[in-house]
Amino acid sequence: MGSFLKKDLLVFWRDRKEILLSLLLPIVIILLLNFAFSGLFDEGAESMDIDVAIVQQDNESIGLEQFEVRVNELDFPPAEKEALLTQATQISPVRLINEFFNDPEMKEWVSAQELGKEKATGLVEEGELDALITIPVGFTESVLSSILLGEETEKNLTINVKEESNEAGALQDMVTNYVNTLNFQFALGTAAEAPAPEPELPEGGREVVEGAQVYTMTQYFTVAIAALFCLFIASTVAMKTVTEKREHVFNRIILTNSKPFNYLMGKIISTFFMAWIQLLITFTVTQLLLDVFSGMSFDFWLGTFVVITAFSIAVSGLTAIFTPITLRLSDPNAANGIFTLIVMGMGMLGGSFFPIDFLPDWVQRIGEWTPNGLTQGTLLEWIQYGSFVDLILPIILLMGFFIACLIIGMFLFPRRERI
Amino acid sequence: MLETINLSKNFKGKKAVDEVDIYLDEGESVGLLGPNGAGKSTTISIISSLLKPSSGDVKLDGKSIIKNPAEIRKILGVVPQEIALYEELTAYENLKFFGEIYKVKKNILEERIRDVLEIVGLKERQKDLVKTFSGGMKRRVNIAAALLHHPKILILDEPTVGIDPQSRNHILETVRKLNEEQETTILYTSHYMEEVEQLCNRVYIMDHGKVIASGSKSELLSILSSEDTIQVQLSETSDQLIEKIKSFDHVRQVDETDEGIRIISKKGSNILSGLVLAAEKEGIQVTHYQMETPSLEDVFLHLTGKTLRD
Repeated sequence: MGSFLKKDLLVFWRDRKEILLSLLLPIVIILLLNFAFSGLFDEGAESMDIDVAIVQQDNESIGLEQFEVRVNELDFPPAEKEALLTQATQISPVRLINEFFNDPEMKEWVSAQELGKEKATGLVEEGELDALITIPVGFTESVLSSILLGEETEKNLTINVKEESNEAGALQDMVTNYVNTLNFQFALGTAAEAPAPEPELPEGGREVVEGAQVYTMTQYFTVAIAALFCLFIASTVAMKTVTEKREHVFNRIILTNSKPFNYLMGKIISTFFMAWIQLLITFTVTQLLLDVFSGMSFDFWLGTFVVITAFSIAVSGLTAIFTPITLRLSDPNAANGIFTLIVMGMGMLGGSFFPIDFLPDWVQRIGEWTPNGLTQGTLLEWIQYGSFVDLILPIILLMGFFIACLIIGMFLFPRRERI
Repeated sequence: MLETINLSKNFKGKKAVDEVDIYLDEGESVGLLGPNGAGKSTTISIISSLLKPSSGDVKLDGKSIIKNPAEIRKILGVVPQEIALYEELTAYENLKFFGEIYKVKKNILEERIRDVLEIVGLKERQKDLVKTFSGGMKRRVNIAAALLHHPKILILDEPTVGIDPQSRNHILETVRKLNEEQETTILYTSHYMEEVEQLCNRVYIMDHGKVIASGSKSELLSILSSEDTIQVQLSETSDQLIEKIKSFDHVRQVDETDEGIRIISKKGSNILSGLVLAAEKEGIQVTHYQMETPSLEDVFLHLTGKTLRD
């Protein structure tokens, strides 16, 4: 087996074109994707700085008084009226707007200051400010009537800009998103007849789970592309069998009375090493160039190393199936086509090309069972939670995938007459 | 030692090998002669255990190897027609790999590699990649790889196709030495008649999947023992002269050649005086006259009606 392994590694190593493609292409693609999408996601978004003035025209206490008058005019039982008024004092729409703009995370994007209308308009005209948000007279009463009494909103926040820009558009989206969230959450609270919940701030493009860190698009690309290109190693190694068959080296191997298992294990182990080296290089180089996993601990790297190793073993299992297929098929192009189809299919289902959250549940479930999908999901969760326990099941599943492939590969390996 | 019994192989209903019976005695050098497509390579593949026959058997010391190919593989070295080597590896790396999987013991493998490289004359180039070798050098490494486990039987399938004369002579000399000095049993296939004549004690002639003749060289030549072949050089040729000679008693065939004519006549018939007279009448001079010893090529032509390279 050692002789086969040495030979396969040496043959692969001497094929410089193949080596360069296998090792460099995933890195190049990760870099390209990172540059192409950096403006749309994390880094670019963080650099956005919106200067905005808030013009407060509403008087909150007058608004509350007006709402109280309105409630008292209604034909509701006194207890219900009392409950509505209590809720109204808790909501305070103007306070929520101020809190929204003063949230520490929002402050990274938006610099808000309270100004009089004339001064604010002047600064917007001069281009000193990106926008002016007006909280109109009667806003409190209007919002409370809308939320608690289900009436049409009469007074809305207004956003004035001198000219349309990315900053102004982003601000408009944020405010609209916030107001919608606000309405939705109060509507839920009212329907359940429970105290109104505190509204949460919209996060704009980031998924936030309690107790977890977020993963960046660069991290996503690194994990997804590395996993996808690793699958191609199985196909590359299996296609070397075609050359061995075409050049009759395989016949010479048969004549040495070598066991098919030894031959197959040579291919499997060499695939493992090549996949493993490819992944290690991809993660290391992208870390050095892009600082993908910035500030991660030694434990993070250890866990990543373990998952990468398990995934490389799973990929070598694919070679166990691909190799006998190349021996069985007389047309090498057919074999290559089948492998490409399998790898691309796995890449698609496993989310290596794009996140598959929007696909139907059953498709996502299949994707989670592909080795690349499982690895990708595991590594992204590992980035978020860092829990070693969460790695155990995926690693067992990847090992199971390898063993199943090995058994199928041995079964598929052709007997003498078919070669 | 090794024999095939009624060996047949069909591919999609077409008979590639048709009830072939051949045998090899220990230490013999046997030629398998035939044009392209005669069934030589298929016969060799079956004997080497790479193909199963459609019917018939291959026996090694009386035991069938069809169900137990491992037995023959241990003592068999096969030099295929193709260069069955890893082009990206050096000659040494190829030999080391094949030696290891032939399970040659580690402590003697290096010595074996040295020996076989010396036999094929490539010791100096052992560290070079095979892909940098000439066709002849590749064929020599191809032979070396089949010798690593000291096979008792060596099968060579057209080992000199498409190579330079120097490499060809080296290969022929190597095969001769292996047979004479190391007593390796040789089965040598070729469509170069002179190689087989030079190397083999016995010859099988195959055509259309069948063995059409076999025996030692003299036995095969005796097939033509009832005829004389005469090469005649003339100052010029004419159709009238050829027709005249064809009308002689005992003359069976007259063919025009580059320098004159070739006459096949009944053995012992004297046609020389008649030939000279007929030529004079036509104003043509006979410049050279030679009785030819028949070759295996003539035997092949006689048996199949075509030359080996047809």
